[in-house]
Amino acid sequence: MKLEGGKISSSHLTFLMIGFMIGSSLIFIPGQTAGHDAWLAILAGLAEGLVFAVIYTTLAMRFAGKTLVQFNDIVYGPYLGKAISIAYLWYFFHLASLVLRSFGDFFTAIIFPETPMIVFIVLTALICATAVRNGLEVITRCGLILVVTMSLAVLTTTILLFKDMKLTNFLPVFDIPLKDFIKASHSAATFPFGETVAFLMVICFLENVKFAKSSAIKALIITGLLLVMASVRSIGVLGVTAPIHTYPSFQAVRLINIGNILTRLEIIVVGNLLAMGFLKISVLYYGTVLGTAQLLKLRSYLPLVLPIGAMLVSFSILQFDSVIENIFFTFEIYPYYVIPFQIGLPLLSLIIAIVRGLPKD
Amino acid sequence: MLRFLAKKLHFLQLLSQNSEDKQESKSRESSQTSLSRDITQNLKVLKDILGPSNDINIREFSFGYEEKVDAAIIFVDGMVEKTTINESIIKPLMYDSHLFTPKESQTITTSIDLIQRSMISVGDVKKVDSFDELVDDCLYGDTVLLIDGSHEALVISTKGWESRGVQEPKTEAVVRGPREGFTETLRTNTTLLRRKIRDPNFIFESMQLGQRTKTSVCLAYIKGIVNPKLVEEVRRRLKRIKTDAILESGYIEEFIEDAPFSPFATVANSEKPDVIAAKLLEGRVAILVDGTPMVLTVPMLFIESFQSAEDYYSRPYYASLIRTLRFIAYTITILAPAVYVALTTYHQESIPTPLLITMAAAREGTPFPAIVEALMMGTIYEILWEAGIRLPRPVGSAISIVGALVIGESAVSAGLIGAPMVIVVALTAITSFVVPAQSDTATMLRFVLTVFASVLGAFGIMIVLLGVLIHLSALRSFGTPYFSPLAPLSPRDLKDVFARVPLWAMFTRPRTIGWHDPQRQEFRLDPHPPPEESEK
Repeated sequence: MKLEGGKISSSHLTFLMIGFMIGSSLIFIPGQTAGHDAWLAILAGLAEGLVFAVIYTTLAMRFAGKTLVQFNDIVYGPYLGKAISIAYLWYFFHLASLVLRSFGDFFTAIIFPETPMIVFIVLTALICATAVRNGLEVITRCGLILVVTMSLAVLTTTILLFKDMKLTNFLPVFDIPLKDFIKASHSAATFPFGETVAFLMVICFLENVKFAKSSAIKALIITGLLLVMASVRSIGVLGVTAPIHTYPSFQAVRLINIGNILTRLEIIVVGNLLAMGFLKISVLYYGTVLGTAQLLKLRSYLPLVLPIGAMLVSFSILQFDSVIENIFFTFEIYPYYVIPFQIGLPLLSLIIAIVRGLPKD
Repeated sequence: MLRFLAKKLHFLQLLSQNSEDKQESKSRESSQTSLSRDITQNLKVLKDILGPSNDINIREFSFGYEEKVDAAIIFVDGMVEKTTINESIIKPLMYDSHLFTPKESQTITTSIDLIQRSMISVGDVKKVDSFDELVDDCLYGDTVLLIDGSHEALVISTKGWESRGVQEPKTEAVVRGPREGFTETLRTNTTLLRRKIRDPNFIFESMQLGQRTKTSVCLAYIKGIVNPKLVEEVRRRLKRIKTDAILESGYIEEFIEDAPFSPFATVANSEKPDVIAAKLLEGRVAILVDGTPMVLTVPMLFIESFQSAEDYYSRPYYASLIRTLRFIAYTITILAPAVYVALTTYHQESIPTPLLITMAAAREGTPFPAIVEALMMGTIYEILWEAGIRLPRPVGSAISIVGALVIGESAVSAGLIGAPMVIVVALTAITSFVVPAQSDTATMLRFVLTVFASVLGAFGIMIVLLGVLIHLSALRSFGTPYFSPLAPLSPRDLKDVFARVPLWAMFTRPRTIGWHDPQRQEFRLDPHPPPEESEK
């Protein structure tokens, strides 16, 4: 019995990737360490991310119809392949728990200070579990609607903030040392863009694998534009204080005040975070569950959904003691921690596949 | 304890006795299923089967020229047209037998073929030779003619009973458009549909469901547009229904629906022939049930509940506006109490300051928290609604005034509930009538949203809405995704979702339903002046 019978179309994949990459990166500013040049860092990170995306889609198109776990076995042999697959599954699991933790941090910090974090994490994990149980097609269908709504929301809030933006906040342009800029752009490349490595588990379900590359590139460019828009909005409105705030986007949208009627619109940011975070966690959760099922050669991945969900919840609570640790991890440690997963191993797999001429038909 | 066991044993004993009796009577019946040549024997068996009901009339007579032959007609008083029986069955047999030559008239009396072909002047006559069929037809308004010496009987169609005439359906009133509605008679309903679709490919398949009610159920579809696998699937699901009674199409709906545990209906229904005809022309299958004016259509999409027949008879701009209004109204009806509870309990900072001061003043001194007020008012509103359906007409307006004044005005001035709550509940009530097809799901969703809003504020609302979105995206109705054309996205079909494009722009049928015959009209049909003639 096939583990996943659904097929998705290329436009669905584009929307899903956009939603995934926006994920929890809309409330932060990727490349925050570059200060008011963060928007440039995002563009540079986009360029780097495009390279990653080309590597991933080439791999996926080479091994059409096979997920990451399946073609690791082919490329590295049965034992080493399984070890590498376990490493990947650990990465997806860790990433899902990081996003869940960001969720919980945001809600307990900003909206519900008195509620324990576990409530938000458990409920979000439950909703993602129902989506994962229903399969990839359902996640994609939800993704479409949520991404369209989110883009409209980002556009609207940016337009409403035009009158509060000061172009002098962007000056002087590019005055940070190059080393810091490269660090920031690498952080931007790994934080939203490089995480599309999770789609190596999903691309094989495309109706027509040919379109994988174009869909991925489209998705990355649109995400890049949206993130640039969000960072321009935050930097333009908040100015020097932008890198200081933990959640710059939220603070920026709080300042919308059109004629005293359109105020207090920050609930839109909260809704966006929930929607996009849900998509990202669902895709990662789905990748973990599907990968584990394929690794263990199970007939169906459904029995794994709730146990892995429980593990996600407990892990996300245990990893950090505070939101400051979370942010420190995301901007200082994470860019280097993911190098093997996002760059090292896929590039190695691609080189080995090309050299050995895999897959042998 | 012992008495309990003794009762259970006695019950089992009676149960087995009951099934034995049933088997006996069945075997008794099956041994007598075919008619015999002797009319007295046949009549005895019939009287046995039909029992002592006094609306079953048996008229014995004899006819023939030289030799008189015994015959009998059996019919159910009240279900037959008496004039047909008198003029077209009894009269020809009794009086017109002298029109035949003596040789023919000799064979006439024994040849039921000849009687069927030359003597009964009714349009629909058939021969039967089993008691089951005979009794079935007799109990539905046909007349049975038994002739002594023949082992076949004639069943003559003489249906004519009292039924409600074709009127405007009360639940789906329109300002512009036809005002015919289906009635309780299956034949009238199929006629109303056939008048709308005069295509020879428009097919009615009939079957009988319900072992005691033997309700006639009709499957209607247009061959060439509909997906043959869909028809096959509907037929299969209908055939597996083995129940006692089918009293209304709602019974059938519950047996054939895709997701019995989902709050959302996956089978649409309507009372108007033009709505059903439009749905048939898009590639759906309609199920007509005798005895009810509600006709089912499958598959159903979520957006169908927001589309009304009037949208298509008015011009597109106003229709699009009203369509968008319906979506807004639906959002209000499910979210209004929940948002009010969430804002006043958790997110007071999100309310604009002047409004916040007014609301705080209005809620000053009310004893209950917002959630208790919301649930109380919601329950009272549901009670008022339910009572309003069953009120006797003369008392109706008085009670509604009392309800509004007492509950609204007085409760507020007594300080039991805050004035904003009454406004919210009134708004919810009015908007719930804008989308009547989804009013039952709206009530359930509203309740769940309010409870979650009281526990977790805005986060609770968003989680429930996400959950509903996931559920709607996963739901399928007879194989068609419930939430198309939004998810999976087919931009071609978005023409009829949030706005209604002009009719000359609707070239194609919905992709997920009518893909068998996609094009429904010619291109470039928009009204435009004739092309300029080229210079001579």
